Amino acid sequence: MTQATPAIRVEGLTQAYGAESDPRRVVALQNTSLSVARGELVALIGPSGCGKSTLLNLMGGLAAPTSGQVLVDGEMIRTPLPRKIAFVFQESTLFPWRTVLENLKLGMAFQGVPKEERDPRARESLNAVGLSDFADHYPSQLSGGMKQRAQLARALALQTDILLMDEPFAALDEQTRMVLGEDLSVLLARTGKTIVFVTHSLVEAVFLADRVAVLTARPGKIKTIIPVNEPHPRSRSFMTSDKLNALRNQLYELLHDEIRATMALGASAGAAETKSLYTVKEEEK
Amino acid sequence: MNAAHVKFPPATARLAIIAAAFGIWEFAARRFGDPLFIAPPSRVAVALFQLVHEKEIISAVGLTCWELVVAFVLSIVLGLIIGLIVGLNRFTRGSMYPVILLLYAIPQATILPLFVLTFGIGPASKIAFGVSHGVFPVIMTVAAGVQNIEPLLLTSARSMGATRRQILTSVIFPHMVPSFFTGLRLGMTAVLFGVLLAELYVSQSGVGHFTTEFTQTFQPQNLFALVAVLATIAVTLNELCRWAESHFTRWRVS
Amino acid sequence: MTRSRLAERLVQLGFFGAVLVAWEIATTRGHVSALLLPPLGSVYRDFITLLSTGQFWPDLGTTLYELAVAFLIAAVSGTVIGYAVSRSGYSVKVFDPLFAGLYAIPAILLFPLYVLFFGIGPASKIAMGATIAFFPIVLNTIAGLIYVKSLYVTAARSMGASPRQMFWSVMLPAAFPVLLNGLRMGLILAFLSILGSETIASFGGLGHRIVELGENLDTSKMFAYIVFVIIIALLLNSAVSFAESRGRSHPA
Repeated sequence: MTQATPAIRVEGLTQAYGAESDPRRVVALQNTSLSVARGELVALIGPSGCGKSTLLNLMGGLAAPTSGQVLVDGEMIRTPLPRKIAFVFQESTLFPWRTVLENLKLGMAFQGVPKEERDPRARESLNAVGLSDFADHYPSQLSGGMKQRAQLARALALQTDILLMDEPFAALDEQTRMVLGEDLSVLLARTGKTIVFVTHSLVEAVFLADRVAVLTARPGKIKTIIPVNEPHPRSRSFMTSDKLNALRNQLYELLHDEIRATMALGASAGAAETKSLYTVKEEEK
Repeated sequence: MNAAHVKFPPATARLAIIAAAFGIWEFAARRFGDPLFIAPPSRVAVALFQLVHEKEIISAVGLTCWELVVAFVLSIVLGLIIGLIVGLNRFTRGSMYPVILLLYAIPQATILPLFVLTFGIGPASKIAFGVSHGVFPVIMTVAAGVQNIEPLLLTSARSMGATRRQILTSVIFPHMVPSFFTGLRLGMTAVLFGVLLAELYVSQSGVGHFTTEFTQTFQPQNLFALVAVLATIAVTLNELCRWAESHFTRWRVS
Repeated sequence: MTRSRLAERLVQLGFFGAVLVAWEIATTRGHVSALLLPPLGSVYRDFITLLSTGQFWPDLGTTLYELAVAFLIAAVSGTVIGYAVSRSGYSVKVFDPLFAGLYAIPAILLFPLYVLFFGIGPASKIAMGATIAFFPIVLNTIAGLIYVKSLYVTAARSMGASPRQMFWSVMLPAAFPVLLNGLRMGLILAFLSILGSETIASFGGLGHRIVELGENLDTSKMFAYIVFVIIIALLLNSAVSFAESRGRSHPA
């Protein structure tokens, strides 16, 4: 494997739900290609329901594409590769019946780490995310931000080359996610991992990523890729810089039409909300 | 609202209400009650002390407790097995769950005579009848517990390389624990109803024999005392289930 | 999808078919006494007779009368007391654990006492059914009313809702699903306990009829009555589910 082999290579990926003849068929992704270099941090951004999460799941082998392929280190992937790829999900996927430390160890047990290595590795990565004092807490005793840090620690303890994150901070308030973003930048710069993450936040995308891939409205494909060109780790001054602002504005311009297009489609979630509002109103009369 | 009043702690107020209820009962029973039909608490208390020295009563209560425990254990074992079979597999769920729901909707009281015809009037029919009540809540909660797991938890385990067996033992089973204990509690309530109903229906040597005897010979103080003993046992068993539930699911509460 | 659906139906039919076949074989060729398990044919004939002669009416009437009165008592007292208790946080703290604790006592134990007080007629069954149904109704009324999202209350207050409007337009609709759940549980429990207490000591009612036939070893007719009661119970169940789905017609 040479330096030139990309860590992840997505080739002509299409993902559709429902048979071709079915009028309800939904094409989530259409003929998408993307290449992620080793040690690179790529953000996926796009309107709701554009297939960002689908793309991420396909990259990690959690689902099989309708057509096209994903190559990880030059090899095709169709099932999860726990030794190469770790995930951080949007909501907390910590097992609520285990303490934080036990959660980390269970992940390593799933991955096949020898028993005696689990404890030191778990404590090390808890330390890295600043949760050492909460090792014996249950997930229900942690705040939202701490839960996400614990999830990140679990992924780090798996010591994979690749980290895939699906809106890891989506459930958090803006202030928490900004500070967590800073921490994450410092942490990830040190690990040298290849990272792909999905986000809704334009600022977060620019602040963390080497390149930001903008997806179109459904059926999703990559519209443009914007390079950020800023060394890691990124500091607080970058967060408030004109450069970040300019990139953010550029992203917003690119996304604007796609978001309008999605809203015109009557994105399922929005439509359902409107509908239920009407039904409730009618009943009151 | 009534900030001007002094408020007692809720537990104290509760005790006061219970004491007042006993007071009213005592007064009303002495003043208006026919001693053939109602006994004041004081006489019940005296009867209680006499009853606990009667060998026959003790062995009847013991027998009923034995029936309760055996019926409860059988309900758990059967309910767990059937619940897992129904809950873990999409096909068995789709085919068997409606059947179980239908059987659950049958009022078992109507088939009580069948239990007596089949198992006789001894403890066996009470145990079988208790199981017929207790097994359903356990089946339903176990099946629900293995089904309503957050799909993302399974995906997450799979992404970390968990095998099917690891997913079963480390994700699905622990996830099932809280609903299993809820099932135990509901099952216990149902077993109590089933066994006690069967006892009251027909009994040779269990408590049902004595409730009939005390009713027919107009000894309300003894009847009240026996009911009090059984109620205490029932509440104790219920509390045990509740304690087990909160003890084994401590991770749920922060 | 549809094929597995079909297979599921086949398994269900197979299950009931197997039960019936086993029954038939056991009674015609087996050594099972007809006193224990009557032949299917004779149960079927008795069931048809039962329906065509209408001889079930007096017992059905008794049971439904007991159920209706018991449920009415429990529903009115349960919701009124529940509402009164829910008015202040203090009374909730006092009464909620009290009712929950009493609910843990198997109420069927009280039946011998009720027979003593109210006699062996319908009154003791009504008392039994009302006692058992009262607790889920009162507990759910309290729970439903106190867990109405404070956000709704605040929003209504900000728009100037009067106490009356608050109760009828906000509290009651918001608590309704939980209230309804309590009423459903109450009705089912009342039905089961009335049937149960009729088997123990009664002059009439469906539970009593079944037991009497069993004691007279008229097993075939007893099975016919059991089938009849099961059908009544299923009808009652679906009526309740229907009422419940109508009651909460807005999507949750």
